[in-house]
Amino acid sequence: MNHIKTTGMLAGMLLAATALSPAMAADMTMERALKADSEPGNWILHAQNYEGHRFSRLKEITAENAKNLKLAYTVALGGYQSGGRYPHGNLEGTPLVDDGIAYVTDGWGSVYAVDASANKRGSRVIWKMDPGTDRAWAGDVACCGVNNRGVALWKDKIVSIALDGRLFLIEKKTGEMLWEAKVAEPAVGETITLAPLVIRDVAITGSAGGEFGIRGWYDAVDLNTGKQKWRTFMIPGPGEPGHESWKGGGNRWKHGGASAWVTPTFDSTLNLIYAGVGNPGPDWDPDYRPGDNKWASSVVAMNPDDGKIKWGFQYTPNDPYDFDEISEHPIVRMKINGQDRTVMTHAARNGFYYSLDAANGSFITGKQYVDKLTWSTGLDPKTGMPLEYDPKKDVQDYIASMTPRRSRPTTDVKCPTTSGGKNWQPTAFNPDLNIMYIPSAEGCNKLTLVVQKDWEDEPGGTVKPRDRFTGGGGVNQGRIEGSVKGVDPLTGEMKVKTAYRYPNWAGLMATAGNLIVTGWPDGEFVAYDAKTLQEVYTYSTGCGINAPPVTYTVAGKQYIGLLVGSIQKAAILQDSPELKNSATCSMFYAWAL
Amino acid sequence: MKKLYGFMFAAAAAFALTVSSASAQTPAPTESAADLREIEYGKDIFKTKANCQFCHKWDGSGDQGYGGNALPLRTTELTLEQFVETVKCGRIGTGMPYHDRFAYNDKRCYDTTREELGNDTPPIANEYLQPREIAAVAKYVFARQKGRGVKGSYEDCLDFWGKESKQCEQFK
Repeated sequence: MNHIKTTGMLAGMLLAATALSPAMAADMTMERALKADSEPGNWILHAQNYEGHRFSRLKEITAENAKNLKLAYTVALGGYQSGGRYPHGNLEGTPLVDDGIAYVTDGWGSVYAVDASANKRGSRVIWKMDPGTDRAWAGDVACCGVNNRGVALWKDKIVSIALDGRLFLIEKKTGEMLWEAKVAEPAVGETITLAPLVIRDVAITGSAGGEFGIRGWYDAVDLNTGKQKWRTFMIPGPGEPGHESWKGGGNRWKHGGASAWVTPTFDSTLNLIYAGVGNPGPDWDPDYRPGDNKWASSVVAMNPDDGKIKWGFQYTPNDPYDFDEISEHPIVRMKINGQDRTVMTHAARNGFYYSLDAANGSFITGKQYVDKLTWSTGLDPKTGMPLEYDPKKDVQDYIASMTPRRSRPTTDVKCPTTSGGKNWQPTAFNPDLNIMYIPSAEGCNKLTLVVQKDWEDEPGGTVKPRDRFTGGGGVNQGRIEGSVKGVDPLTGEMKVKTAYRYPNWAGLMATAGNLIVTGWPDGEFVAYDAKTLQEVYTYSTGCGINAPPVTYTVAGKQYIGLLVGSIQKAAILQDSPELKNSATCSMFYAWAL
Repeated sequence: MKKLYGFMFAAAAAFALTVSSASAQTPAPTESAADLREIEYGKDIFKTKANCQFCHKWDGSGDQGYGGNALPLRTTELTLEQFVETVKCGRIGTGMPYHDRFAYNDKRCYDTTREELGNDTPPIANEYLQPREIAAVAKYVFARQKGRGVKGSYEDCLDFWGKESKQCEQFK
């Protein structure tokens, strides 16, 4: 599936040089990656560490002195061209910062190296690598915006992706693209939006496209060769465990979604990655796809060396709500009843917070974290399944009035909304306070089922590749608001929370200075006291924020930076007309004392 | 994968279905230079500013998505005047947004207001349109989509997207 296209005559030689070149002092190595916590001046992994904590040990900026923060610099980026179904690109990336250089992306996949030093004058953009994304082709099969969530470091190279399915290896110093490999195929509705996860010498990516009838996968490319090392489909094929959970005849399993669009977490001691899996397709016509539909709306633990699934846990079997659970699964080590345990956590889109044993996937505990949850009355304390889940049923009703069925296509008001209690926007974990912070969306919607037509590879079917494949949809009911909630990482018990007038589309960062930092759709950059979630600093950036913050040092001085610029989701606009006239932008902002 | 685009859904109940014979995007011989200019202007609004294509698909063939079905424009039985009213006012109780900024401030749309409609008020469009823009997008739909078969052709695709993308290969 991976076909390297060289970008110059010397590409083969470059590949060979890449494979053989030793890691330099500042090169990204596995050793550095495993010890990311020990170099807080750099932000070298997508979620700060492999465990997904987004927690920095830096504490020059604290809850006490954050009121003295000042905007240090801004950098204008590009990437807001139209393409496919979208008027402009979007910024959802987490910057990486290494040795005073920030590596950021725009929605169409351009990578920018930005001088992040304090006193730089003039242009800060050292280089820009524009991959020339086929915007019409890829943008027409992107369900929810033109997105790229960031890059990865490997040796003295940058690893990046583009929406049209390509993976790139880039010279870190110059921005020269050394090779590109075709990974996802927009011709069948696949795109890539996640930041690659590099473990040792492989780059792990995944396929978005859960609303276009794909069969989702995670894929690993050997960065030494540019060739595929493994690919694991998230819907089991014939003969594989879980295949029987796709009933209804035809080729349901071939088009059942189960996409992959957020970077997995990784536990090096267990040598497992924790990969979220998207919704089953069609989203809102569960009668089309009887069965539990594994591993849609699940997490799977996979060996990063061969892609083999060690275990899986399905949050919402036969999901009729589009509760795909692609978002991060942070790993927390703790003592439970005196025993050392490695716990995998997840603030789920379905509105519950979960903790599982990271070694075997056994359910430990779960608790509702959204303000209002109406599709289930709770979780079974032994299994973690929704209390209304009936394994004898092929199509689940959960709370029937909330569930779209062909016999009753329109639901009552159901909470949380389709976009969930939390979507891809990442949590942050402060190990000193032992609190997991959740960026939450609070709201409800109604769902309407539209009977899904069959695929053209099924008798009488008419649906073609790249056609939308959703089986209905939902309309929000009333204003969608947001909150930041701090919970016990094991039990989900609420410890602290604060509300906001909009949902959080940015995600969070925590620091040892007892800060929680985020941005909001109205352009407000906000730092909170981690203990109280009282605001300690705010700055109006002037356009919506849709990307998570990071922190780093340059010449010993601490900065907090993030990408600013987003589409204003009309789901917000319906009840927030004050945002109606706000325009997008495409910027990198940084603050310091 | 999605972060709900709750707004852009579906269109109106009044879009009824008829099927006409297909033809390419070739201009009708009666289209003047001024007509062609307005049609191109309407296409640009359909594609980008109003982003009609997000729900109705680039060729106006209709689509499903968040919120339900955006019905096909190619087979609509609405008159041009009714179509303009639908763009301006949206459709009550559906996901079809209104594009006139003042649509439900007074009773210019369906003789009702936002206060009277409550949750049935149509969604706000991402971008409001001026009457000239609404007229142009209606003219584009009636000249290049309505009555030209249930789906766009390869030539229609090239006309909409250009030749530089792989977007149209599937329609060859």
